[in-house]
Amino acid sequence: MTAMKEVKVALAGNPNCGKSSLFNALTGSHQKVGNFSGVTIEKYQGYVDYRNYRIRFVDLPGTYSLTAYSPEELVTRNYLIEESPDIVVNVLEGPKLERNLLLTTQLMEMEVDLLVALNMFDEVQAQGIEIEVKQLQQLLGCHIVPTSAKKKQGLEPLLDHVIRVYEGDIEVKKNKLAFRPEVDRAIEEIAELLSHEPELDKYNFRWLAIKLIENDKEVYNVVRQYPVWVKIELALRNVMQETETVYKSDPEIIITEDRYAFIRGAMQECVKLARDKKLSLTDYIDLVVLNRALGLPIFLFVVWVIFHMTFTLGTPMMEGLDYLFGVLADNVGSFLPNDTLRSILVDGVIAGVGGVLIFLPNIVLLFIGLSFLEASGYMARAAFVVDKVMHRFGLHGKSFIPMITGFGCSIPAIMATRTLKSRSDRLATIMVIPFMSCGAKLPVYVLLAGAFFKPAAAANVMFGIYMLGIFVGLFSALVMKKTFLESESEPFVMELPPYRWPTLRSVLFQAKVKAMMYIRKAGTIILLAVLLIWTFSNYPKNPELDAALDREIASIEQTIADRTEQETAIIKAENRVSASQLEYSLAGRAGKLLEPVIQPLGFDWRIGIALVTGLAAKEVVVSTMGTIYSLGEADETSSELKTILRSDPAFDQATALSLMVFVLLYIPCVAAVGVMRKEIGEWKAVAFYGTYALVAAWIFSFITYRLAQLLL
Amino acid sequence: MLLSELKVGDKAEVTGLLAESAVRRRILDMGLVKGTRFKVLRVAPLGDPIEIFFKEIYLTLRKNEAAGVLVQKTGEVGDRTPMGGRRHRRGFGS
Repeated sequence: MTAMKEVKVALAGNPNCGKSSLFNALTGSHQKVGNFSGVTIEKYQGYVDYRNYRIRFVDLPGTYSLTAYSPEELVTRNYLIEESPDIVVNVLEGPKLERNLLLTTQLMEMEVDLLVALNMFDEVQAQGIEIEVKQLQQLLGCHIVPTSAKKKQGLEPLLDHVIRVYEGDIEVKKNKLAFRPEVDRAIEEIAELLSHEPELDKYNFRWLAIKLIENDKEVYNVVRQYPVWVKIELALRNVMQETETVYKSDPEIIITEDRYAFIRGAMQECVKLARDKKLSLTDYIDLVVLNRALGLPIFLFVVWVIFHMTFTLGTPMMEGLDYLFGVLADNVGSFLPNDTLRSILVDGVIAGVGGVLIFLPNIVLLFIGLSFLEASGYMARAAFVVDKVMHRFGLHGKSFIPMITGFGCSIPAIMATRTLKSRSDRLATIMVIPFMSCGAKLPVYVLLAGAFFKPAAAANVMFGIYMLGIFVGLFSALVMKKTFLESESEPFVMELPPYRWPTLRSVLFQAKVKAMMYIRKAGTIILLAVLLIWTFSNYPKNPELDAALDREIASIEQTIADRTEQETAIIKAENRVSASQLEYSLAGRAGKLLEPVIQPLGFDWRIGIALVTGLAAKEVVVSTMGTIYSLGEADETSSELKTILRSDPAFDQATALSLMVFVLLYIPCVAAVGVMRKEIGEWKAVAFYGTYALVAAWIFSFITYRLAQLLL
Repeated sequence: MLLSELKVGDKAEVTGLLAESAVRRRILDMGLVKGTRFKVLRVAPLGDPIEIFFKEIYLTLRKNEAAGVLVQKTGEVGDRTPMGGRRHRRGFGS
C-alpha cells in the first residue's frame, strides 16, 4: 500500500450549527482534545482514513463572525491564518441559513479554500424549505454538500468533495463580495499599499484592508508596526469621512450591512421558505419553560436536580473511593517496615493522590448534567431566566449554575465557568465560588456549632454562616466588577438554540474530557501541595519525643497490670506525643508564628495549626484539632472532642463563631487553588484572590468575635 | 423609538444602531441590521432580558443592550400584520 496523503481540514461554523456532531460523525473514535495555545478554549482534533487519504479535522470553536471581540473568533481566524489548513469546511445550520451565511461571507473574504456543508438538511426538508443548491454554489463560488450529522447523511459525499478540492478537481472560485463603491475603492487602495510589505505575506491583503476599515483592533496592531501605516491611516480617514457624509454611518456598519445585502440577495435567488409554518416544538416548550410564572420555579427545579445528582449521588461514591484508598493505605502500610517510608507513602502519596481522585465522581456527574443542559438548549434559557438577579451583582446569567455548584464543591464549579465567554465575567464568577460554603467545610460547622450551641441555635448558626458566604461572595463580585473588572463585560445578546435531544455519547465524552483535564493538570499541582503540607505537619521530627514515649510506654507496662488499662494509657501517651510532635513541626511553628495575627480573632496557636493544615482540605481542620487536643483520630461527631473544646478556657461561643466565619471565608483548599490557577491561567490573579480571601476572613471573623463577645 | 420600549407582541423594524463597540458588533453579527423585521416574543420572568424573533432566530438581549437599537413599530398583538415581508409570514402570539 502506498503512503497515505494527509489533508488538513478545519471545521468552522456558528454555535449550535451541528458542527461538533458532524465532527464526531466524521472522525468517530479517532479524537483527542487539547487547548488552543494561550487560551482555555478546547481544541478538538480527529482524523478519518478515506480512500487512501488521512483527513485530519480540527473542530474550531463555534462563532457567528470573525471579529476581534471574542477569544473564540480570534482563535478561529488566527488558526486559519497561522495553520493555513488545506480546506475550510464551513458548516451551515440549514434552517437558519441567512444568519449562518454571515460567517461564510467572512470566510470568503479570507479567500480560504472553502467547502460548505449544508447541515441539518433533513430539518430543512422537513420544514419545507427549498434551497437551490446549484445556484447558491454559483454565488458563493464554492461547492455545497448537503449533510445531516444526526442521520449520518452526506458524510461520504463531503469527504469526496474534500479530496476533490484538495486534488484540484474542484476549483474554489473565491468570489469577491461587492461593497458600496466608496468602501470598495478604499479596500483596493489599502490592499495595494499592503502588498508592498513582504512581511505581511501570510495574510490576504484584501482581508487585512477590510478588517482595517472595520476598525479591527488586532489587525490594526499588526499593520501599525510597518512604515506603510502612514499612508494607510490617511486612506482610512478618507473612507470614514466619505461614508459619514454619504451614508451617515461608519464603515464598520456599512461593511456588515453590505454582507447582509449580499446574503439577502442570495436568499431571494436561491431559497424558498415555507409559506405557513406552524409553531415548532421549541415554541411549545418555551411557552412553558420561559413562562413568566413558571420560568423561575422550573429553573430552580432543574438546578436542584443537577445539584442532587452531583452531590447526593456523588458523595457515596466519594466515600467509597475514600474507603478504598484507606484500605490501600492500610495494606501498603503493613508491608513497609520503615516508619518514615511508610509515612511518606501512606500519609503523603496515597492520601495525596486519594485526596485528588475522590473529587472525580462529583466532577463527572456534574458535567454529565451540565453538558446535557448545554446540548439540549436549556443552558441558554437558564441564563435568560436568571440574568436579572445576577446582573444586579455585576455577573452574567450564566454565572448562576457554577455559583450554586460551589455549595457542593468549588472544583467542578470553577471548571464549569468555561461557559462564560468574557474573561472579566469568568474571573468574577471564579472568585465568588469559594465563598459559597462547600461540603468539606460542613464538618467544621457541625463540630463547632454542635459543641457550643443547643441544637435549635446550632441550625440557625449554620444557616447564618451559609448566608454570610453568599453575601460576601456577591458583594465581592459587585465590588470587583465596579472596579478593576469593569471593562469588557460580555454583552447579553444571546441566541436561544432550538431544543435538541443530545446524544449519550457526546454527553459522556464531555464529562470524560473534563475528568481527564482535572486529573492531568490540576492533579500535579494538588499532589505537590498536599505533599508539602504533609511534610510541614510531620517535620522536623523531635527525636526526644519518641525517646520519651518509649520510656513512658515502658514504665506504663511495668506499673499497670490490667491489660486494657495498659492499652488506654499507652494510647493516651501516644496521642499526647503526636500533639507535641505536631506542635514541634513546621506547621506547629507556623501556628505559633501566626498567633499574634489571629489572636484578635480569639484564636490561639492550636487553631493556627488547624488553619494551616486545613489548606490541604477543609475537613482536615477537624482532624487536626483532634490531634492537637491529644485525642488521636477524631471527626465532627466525636463527643470527646466536643467536650474537650467546651472545657478549654480559650474556647467559647464567640471563638467558635469566629472560627466558623474564618473557615468559611479564608483561602480554599489546595485542590481548588490548583484548579483556579489552571482556569485563570496566571498566578497573579490567584495570589490576589488568596490575599483578598484572607483579609476578608480576618475582618469578618474580627467583627463576629467582638460582636459575639458583646452579645452572648 | 428604542427596541427596549417595545411591548410583548409588538412587531417592528430596525432603523439604526446607537450601541457601540462590542455590543454593536454582537447585535450586527446576530443579524439585527437596518431593515430587519422582528417580533417581541416575551420578557424574562423577572422582567429583563427580553426575547425577540426574526428569521428563525430566537434572540435574547438585556433591555440595556436593547436600548442601543433604534426601531420603528410596524404592528402589535392581534393586528394580524405579518412581521416580515411575504416570506416571513408567521402565526405567532395572535
